[in-house]
Amino acid sequence: MIATALSILARAITQALLDALAVRGAARVKSQLRERAVAALDAGGSELLARSSSARVATLLGQGLDALDGYIGRYLPQLILTAVATPLIVGVLLLADAATGITVILTLPIIPVFMVLIGLSTRAVQKKQWQQLGALAQGFLEVVQGLSTLMIFGRQHRQADRIAAVTDEYRRRTMAVLRLSFLSGFALELAASLSVALVAVSVGIRLIEGELLLGLGLFVLILVPEAYLPLRQVGAQFHAASEGLTAAEEVLELLEGAPASEAAASLQPAAPIGPSLPVSAETIAMSDRSTPVSASDADDAVPALTLRDLTVRRGDRVVVDRLSGSWMPGTVLAVTGPSGAGKTSLLGAVLGLVAHEGAVLLDGAAVPPAERLDRIAWAGQRPDLTGGPLDEVVALGAPTLDHDQVGRSLRWAGLDDVPRRTVLGPAGDGLSGGQAQRAALARAHYRAQQRDCRIVLLDEPTSALDAETERGVIAGFRALAAEGRLVVVVTHRRAVMAAADALLRLEPETRDAPASAAPAVAEARR
Amino acid sequence: MTGDRRAVLRASVPPLRAFLPALALGVLASGSAVALLATSAWLIARSAEQPPILFLGFAIVGVRAFALGRAVFRYLERLVGHDGAFRALAGLRVSVFRRLLPVAPDGLQGTRRGDLLTALVRDVDALQDLPLRVLQPLVTALTVAGLAVVGVAWVAPAAGLALAVGIVLTAASAALVLRLVSRRADERIAPLRAALTDAVLEYVARWETLRAFGADAAHRARVIDLDGQLRRAETRQAAAAGSVAALFTLGAGLTLLATLLVTQPSLAQGAITGPQLVMLVLVPLAVLEVVAALPGALSAWWRVRASAERITAVVPAAVPAELPVPPARPAAAPSGAPVIRLRGLSARWPGEAAAALRDLDLELAPGDRIVVEGSSGAGKTTLAHVLVRFLDHEGSYTLGGVDVRTLDPDEVRRHVVLCEQSPHLFDESIRQNLLFAHDAATDDELLGVLERVGLGDWCRARGGLDAPVGERGRLVSGGEAQRIAVARALLADAPVLILDEPTANVDPDRAESLLAELLGAAAGPERAVLVISHTPVADALVTGRHRLAAAR
Repeated sequence: MIATALSILARAITQALLDALAVRGAARVKSQLRERAVAALDAGGSELLARSSSARVATLLGQGLDALDGYIGRYLPQLILTAVATPLIVGVLLLADAATGITVILTLPIIPVFMVLIGLSTRAVQKKQWQQLGALAQGFLEVVQGLSTLMIFGRQHRQADRIAAVTDEYRRRTMAVLRLSFLSGFALELAASLSVALVAVSVGIRLIEGELLLGLGLFVLILVPEAYLPLRQVGAQFHAASEGLTAAEEVLELLEGAPASEAAASLQPAAPIGPSLPVSAETIAMSDRSTPVSASDADDAVPALTLRDLTVRRGDRVVVDRLSGSWMPGTVLAVTGPSGAGKTSLLGAVLGLVAHEGAVLLDGAAVPPAERLDRIAWAGQRPDLTGGPLDEVVALGAPTLDHDQVGRSLRWAGLDDVPRRTVLGPAGDGLSGGQAQRAALARAHYRAQQRDCRIVLLDEPTSALDAETERGVIAGFRALAAEGRLVVVVTHRRAVMAAADALLRLEPETRDAPASAAPAVAEARR
Repeated sequence: MTGDRRAVLRASVPPLRAFLPALALGVLASGSAVALLATSAWLIARSAEQPPILFLGFAIVGVRAFALGRAVFRYLERLVGHDGAFRALAGLRVSVFRRLLPVAPDGLQGTRRGDLLTALVRDVDALQDLPLRVLQPLVTALTVAGLAVVGVAWVAPAAGLALAVGIVLTAASAALVLRLVSRRADERIAPLRAALTDAVLEYVARWETLRAFGADAAHRARVIDLDGQLRRAETRQAAAAGSVAALFTLGAGLTLLATLLVTQPSLAQGAITGPQLVMLVLVPLAVLEVVAALPGALSAWWRVRASAERITAVVPAAVPAELPVPPARPAAAPSGAPVIRLRGLSARWPGEAAAALRDLDLELAPGDRIVVEGSSGAGKTTLAHVLVRFLDHEGSYTLGGVDVRTLDPDEVRRHVVLCEQSPHLFDESIRQNLLFAHDAATDDELLGVLERVGLGDWCRARGGLDAPVGERGRLVSGGEAQRIAVARALLADAPVLILDEPTANVDPDRAESLLAELLGAAAGPERAVLVISHTPVADALVTGRHRLAAAR
């Protein structure tokens, strides 16, 4: 009696431990994969993100990895348990009652065979069905998301019928899939319960004939379901497991695919500077507007930025081709050109975020890409605001928050009408498009002031601003240049080009033929 | 609020008549499992007494029948149960949609963010679990447990009592463990998972920015910290689940022992036979396996309740004061020229204290093309929403001399059509995306209107009107989406057309030319066009300008 009680207790405790430890293991593996994937991003970020969309990567690292729970947390332990426990139980059964043991040995393989057969015959159908289901499952979401559009055209009232119809179609198709999916569960259950019946009846008959003792008969009867249980559970977890495996494979692919060598190359110091070659882009002096440069450096001034044969490739395509030029501090340089002319890639290369050939000199000295980030303030084409209070958003990356400077930067960007303690949502939600753009400008200004960056790169900074607001922001660019910085603005706005000291026009077609030997005139003007 | 939640929950349960077969099949399946063990045990024990095999015939048949029944009934239960739940889902979706209609689009709490709308739909679908994972296991477990207790008590009252006590104690302690340990972890896991996904997405999507500002290390640390918190919560939840499973194993074993103890006197008195004793002792094992479904039902119930709570929070039961309400007896449509006249117009978004648009005077007559400018936050989009009666207003707004408050909002929208900042494209063909604006249009008319908005070549290049636009217009660029929206508006042939920031999602270098083309396509002597834009509009394209001063 006591022995029975103790064994019950032992079984309960080991069961609790098995579950807890298995899930802990799964969680740990997930954490490790997540950490390694995040680290891989740093090694080869832009290349990696160029290959797969950021949303895809984020989903994979977020929910995608959760699919591993089923594989590591449930399937694998169950598989190991099956491998250990099933032979043990079958062995005990064989010893206790050979006839039952043999029955179990003969019927056990039916389960995996059934599973494989059903799996094979239904997989193709299922895959096709699930894809159609995915579209149908979206039906309701689509109506809800498009509700305002439907209302505009007075179509909202008919949608109730449509929703009912789509959902019913969804039910019909799902049930067709489920009828097959549940078959495997049916087979598992049937195999197990019929085996119990088989054993019970045969044991009973042999008991009547006196071939077996009652105690042994009961022992066998209780033990038989336990022989099937692990294998049944493996079968039940099989689906979850295959999902988990797919997710794991994708993450591992992401990790292995990270172009470690290329990334390393892009982070190495730029190649030694060769003789200056012809400029391949047209640089035009805009006007003879005298740029206020801090007094003494008019003659022996060093250009804030010098490019020598800068070439950027995206895949097989050359997007920036042997671009050379140099620009003095105190200048506002407007960069323009049609989509795909390499404007954004140019900024990325100067920043050191995009792999490139050729030399990038800051204040006349070659600086390794990784260190350039420290000396350049930048605002990208998308505002890319982080979440949180506005002043922390503006002071992104600063070790301490200088409230006065945040105030000056917000004023500089014309954003002092938004309260500083406004809390932005996870993707910077809560600001309108124009406000978000100015917040991103304020952020670049804050960095430029805090770290005294001599170069400020701005990518389409006024595209979401109306003309009046734009005028204020342009005055800000001039003020920034007047402090002795080089302000590079990628833009399509005429007002910005008109206010610039120099214009760099990038053309996709001029990249094929080396341009004529026009001198870089941006600095010659002074 | 609670009554509201109850209404939402009730809508997700299939009608009893449809639900009953699933419940009955569930009881039959679980009952067969218990009966299979009971008859097998009795069969073996009785066989040991070596009676003529004839006496055992019915038990042998019973064992085989219950074995078959368990598997067959379970299969049918799952099919019928899922079918019923899906049928209920259709009704549930329609009822939630009907609730949405009077408050959509501007009265939905916080749903101006698309992801919240997705969450709403997910919550609605999660309510399927109420019949499938809450009610069905609950009813099945309680019925089978009750029947088993009655059956056992009929043979030996003491054993019945032991079984009842065993079931109640085990289920109660499992519920307690779940409540104390797992529920807190459960509640933390969903927000933590969302926070982690957000953090990962922020890190991945803003990687360049974070890197450029030297903030990547801090963000990486945050991802890893959230990951750690999530891992701890998950481990805790798993420990709870493991303990609950163990509790049921323990409960089954202890009930077996207790039954053995309390039936000893009856056996000694000869009130029960040996085979009966064996059966009584083994039944608890099977019954507790059935009852073990209850903790899962409890967790599912918590999840379902939270979903219902969120639905009622997002979709207000009462229409907020800031939204227009259709008049009980709408006035007749304006017959004259649809001149829009606004006098002292102010408007406010639901739940916001300050007016987003204040004291506006504006007039818009056929043939007018007016550009509305103003800094961000000056109320430009608010104006657009007031004009199509998504938002109510103070002051006066007349359409063709008729106060719009006396008109059905749908009637106003037949005259005033809005091209939204991000027009919604449905995951269907180009044709379907145009037809719902005017479903009697012929293909020639559709192609003609596409030509007018500059999409003729684009449509041909894709293989005609049957080409798909992709999920949420994935296969279409921002500029093309705007052109389709204008094409739809032209098809609807409304006399007033409002363009809200048509260049918001368009490459900056294409913005000005797109705006010019759209205005060119929309222009007509009979049509009034109001365009809201931050992209500069050339004077030649418009007949007037209006500047909104910031409301703040």
